[in-house]
Order: sequence, then structure tokens, then C-alpha cells
Amino acid sequence: MLKDFEILPHTADLKIRVYGNSIEELFKHALIGMFQSMRPAAPECHYNENKRLVCANLPINHAIEVNSPDRDALLVDFLSYALYLSDVHNEAYLDVTIDLLDMKRILAHVHGIKIKGFDESEIKAVTYHDLNIVKMNGLWQTEIVFDI
Amino acid sequence: MQQSPKWHDLIKINEYLYEIPQSFRSDMRVPARIYMTEAMFQDIEEDRSLLQLVNVACLPGIQKYAFAMPDIHQGYGFPIGGVAALAIQEGGVISPGGIGYDINCGVRLLVANMSKDDIKSRLPELATALFHTIPSGVGRSGKLSLDTKELNQVLLYGAKRMVELGYGNENDLEHCEENGNMPGADFSLISKEAKKRGHDQLGTLGSGNHFLEIQAVEEIYDEKAAHAFGLKKDAVTVMIHCGSRGLGHQTCTDYVRIMMAKLPEWGYQLPDRELVCAPFLSQEGQQYFAAMTAAANFAWANRHVIGHWVREAWHLILGPGAELITMYDVSHNIGKRETHSINGLKKEMIMHRKGATRAFGPSRPEVPAAYKEIGQPVLIPGTMGTSSYILAGTDDSLSQAFGSSCHGAGRVMSRTKAKKLISGSDLRARLEAQGIVVRCDSSVGLAEEAPIAYKDVDRVVKVIAQAGLAKKVARVVPLAVIKGG
Repeated sequence: MLKDFEILPHTADLKIRVYGNSIEELFKHALIGMFQSMRPAAPECHYNENKRLVCANLPINHAIEVNSPDRDALLVDFLSYALYLSDVHNEAYLDVTIDLLDMKRILAHVHGIKIKGFDESEIKAVTYHDLNIVKMNGLWQTEIVFDI
Repeated sequence: MQQSPKWHDLIKINEYLYEIPQSFRSDMRVPARIYMTEAMFQDIEEDRSLLQLVNVACLPGIQKYAFAMPDIHQGYGFPIGGVAALAIQEGGVISPGGIGYDINCGVRLLVANMSKDDIKSRLPELATALFHTIPSGVGRSGKLSLDTKELNQVLLYGAKRMVELGYGNENDLEHCEENGNMPGADFSLISKEAKKRGHDQLGTLGSGNHFLEIQAVEEIYDEKAAHAFGLKKDAVTVMIHCGSRGLGHQTCTDYVRIMMAKLPEWGYQLPDRELVCAPFLSQEGQQYFAAMTAAANFAWANRHVIGHWVREAWHLILGPGAELITMYDVSHNIGKRETHSINGLKKEMIMHRKGATRAFGPSRPEVPAAYKEIGQPVLIPGTMGTSSYILAGTDDSLSQAFGSSCHGAGRVMSRTKAKKLISGSDLRARLEAQGIVVRCDSSVGLAEEAPIAYKDVDRVVKVIAQAGLAKKVARVVPLAVIKGG
């Protein structure tokens, strides 16, 4: 099974490497990686043996529309907007339906749950540091550093 | 992929200062200088701290050197502990990522009129009261919720507005960098998203390495300076470490985005996109600076309100005669417009200090009147269970490194590794065995900030003092730690 993301060593912040069979999947896994890394505290969900939060339903939906100068920027801006929604609504998003995704634009709906907070340090922001979306051996991937 | 400098690339200037020459990479505009000892190099040789510092040396308008303080560690864009002076009239840029997402993250120190023995029996009670009074941890809201009109006043006037609303006093303002109210803020340049995130976060600590600590003065190094700062042996102090919360994070995010779109127009070739920047005098540069100033004012209001609530809890437990006086409040993530002399020529700079503290000596007018003969207080928190330091800025620091010092111990270990090496409950037990009261509702959060994850603060401060960037005034040790997850 394809690994969706992994946490890499970083002295001060949070660094993950994200994988996807398609660009759409890469964006989805980046969203999942960002929120799972913060360990959302959601009473109606549970953590599985891989320490991933699993929810029977993701009843909350928000539309996201982002335009950016290029695809790397689009990923940063998409994740940043999801982070903003999470902070304002006290929610975590664990899935996304992507309606349109090209080099400079994404139209999507993120799906999530209400949370009591996060058990890990909050992500303050999504950075461009080390971010470089590439296709290697047929697999899309990038690293992302989050400020925490 | 660009290579990090190795030991053999460094030139020793003296025992506490090393240089990466401009010849190391063709795009460097100035050399880079690192305050450290030879032994401290091992802390940073494996990560990308020095590569990040070399990247800073490439910024348009940078003067003299890209500096790293001895608490240097890997960040994003700038290393943490990075200092850069960009000359405004020489095409100098301002970089939101070079200031950091937590705009005006900083430290406030309050000094009590009681000794550690006076409060010893009430310490657990005090710590519990502070834990319940000051919202901490991940999770957004605090006890205050501001409407847009009131939030705009806070963005304009910072801690000064909070005094008008009945929080704290004028003395707090007099003993605060920028008097807690940096001029030039423009609330209309703070996005509605940032305001939504910030409107109910005033008076909250947040998570990560943010904390409240009750401390006692363990050692005085400079009696005259300690007297001026109101410090004496065994006196109790309270340290507050936090920043501008979601409002600041969103503001930085917004302006990184704005500048990223304009970057091709300015034609900068940046070694790292996170160094995205704008000419300081451009519309985008000016707008970001005014927005950053507003977010900085929010952070000063935040620490000010927390200080006020600490005082309330203090009175509640210890009685109305128990005073807490603000000694100083410093920022360690900020951009500042400052004039500095280079070879006798005065230049106006946009100073970037990211994970670095201003350390002005007595000659600067920015130093509060009460500390004119001593220099600006420099507050350097250590790690949980270890010492923190109070230093005084020097004029030597002005001539060496634009009046800058380190901001803490500096991480050497990832949070993931720290959690593997020690559990939160073990750490709590160890701290309690040292007699330190711990109030933290997240064992994970506690383990992430374990002292083993940081450099030895004593060594870091020794470099600062020996290099002449600041002089040691006092060392404080923790009595109680209060933090979020």
C-alpha cells in the first residue's frame, strides 16, 4: 500500500514527506499529513494501531478556492487556508474532494470534524522551505516544513 | 542541492566568533558570522542551520555580515538565531519569513517583592491558579473576545490600549520594548482572516515552547545592574513567553503570499523561496511592515494582559501586598527600523531578528530611562528545569552585531526524537524531584520541550558574555512551570 506521508527529522519544526500517485492525491495526503501530525482530539473518533485518527463520519464540509502563481505555491496556499479554517472553527480536516486542480488553481471541499484541540504542538504556518513537488519513479512527492 | 559549510570552510576570528567567507558561495553579498565555540559546531554540523545563514547573506541590501547567535538552529528561510541588517536606501528588503510567523514572539519578566522562602508554602497553589487563569495549549479562545473595532484599537496601540481598558499600568509600558506600542501600525492591512483568528486569542499562551514560569534569582553577577533591574538574590520572578498567536501567523502567511506573486517583477533570485521578500520601500514592503507592526502590538498586548492576570492570581493567593513589577519585555521575532553606524556612516536599516533579541547598550535612546546607565535588559529563557538568564545590552554589541543577542538555549533535537528519549511522565517526575512544580495538561507537550532537546543554556550565555554582546546580570532558576500542550 502506498505510504501517504512520513514525518522526517527537523530540529525545531515539523517536516513531512508526502507521496501521491497523482497530484490530486499528493494534495490530499498533504492535508491529511498536516492534520494527523497535530493529533486532533475528537471524542467521537478513535486512534488506530498506526496512531491515525479514524472517524466513521466527516460531517463538516468547507469549500476552498485558491489561486496561486504556481503549483508549489498552490499547495502552500491550499494548506494555509485549511489551517485558517481549522483555527477559526476548531475543526480538523481528514479528507478532501478535489473538483478542479491545475497548475495555478484548486477548487475543493475539505471534510472534517469538530475537535477539542490538538494533542501535539499546533502548526503555526506552512512554509516554502524545502518544498518542491516532483515526480520520481512514477510517484509524486514533496517535503513540507511547518512552523510549530 | 546546495552544500552546508563544513568546519574547514570556517575562519576563526576569535574563540567565540567564526566566519564563513563571502567566497564560500558566489551569490553571497557579505560574509556570515557565527557566535559559538568550536565545541558547539557539532550541534549544527548535521542540520542545515549554516546553509540557511549563507542564504541570508545573499539578501539584497544586507550590511556587514549575516549573523548567527550561539543558539543557532535550523529553521526555515532564516536559521533561528539569525540577525540581518538590510540598508533601506541601498535596496534593502524586508522578508516576512525572516521575521517569523510568530511575529513578536517574546519574553516578559515580572519581579516580585517577595523571596522564594516567602512563597514556598503557597507555590503549588500559585501554580494551579496561574494554570487556570491563563489559557494555554492548542485551542483557540481565551477569556477576552474583541469586536473588530476594539481589536483595531489593540492593533494600533498595543499594550497601551490595554492599560486604557484597565489592564496593567503605565509602569508596565515604560519597561517594555517600544513601550508596548510600536508606531506605524495599520490595522486595515491585517486581513479579515487574521482578525478572525486573533479576536478571541488575546491573553492566551498557545502551545509549543511557550510557557509561564515562576522563578527565583539564584545568582547575581553584576550588583549595580541587578539593583537597577530590581533584582536581588532569592527574589521571585515570573517569566512569560508567547507571541501574536493566530493573528500573527496569518499575517505572515498573507504577506508571504502577496510577495510571492510579485517576486518575478522584482527579479530577485532567492536560494530559498521562504526568503521571499520585498524592497522595504516598495508598496508591498511598506504594507507588510505596517501589518507586522500591528501584529507586534497585538503580541505586546497579549503578554501585557497575561501579566495582568498573573498579578491578579498573585494577589488572590498571596494578598494585595504581593507586588509584581514588570522588569522588561523583549521581542525575539521582529523587524525594526533602526539607525546604525558602519565605518562612521549612519545608515537606516530594516533589522531582522529571528530568534534573536535586541541588546542595545546605554548609548541608545531606545533604552528605558530607568536602565540608561546599564543598557537594555536581555531576557534569555533556558529550558524546563534549567536556568534562565538576565543580561544587559552593551555598546560593544552595537558595533559588533547591530545590538543583538541570542534568545534562548536553542534546540538541538527534534521533538520526535525528544519524545522517543523521554516520556512526559518521566520528565514530570524528574522536575518534581528537583522541587519544581509542574502544571501542564499534555505529557506529550512536556516531553517535546525536555531539556535534553536543547543546548546547554549556560554555554550559550557564556559565548554571548565573552563575545561582549551582553553582560551577565543574574541567573534565575525555575520554581514552577506552567505550560500548554
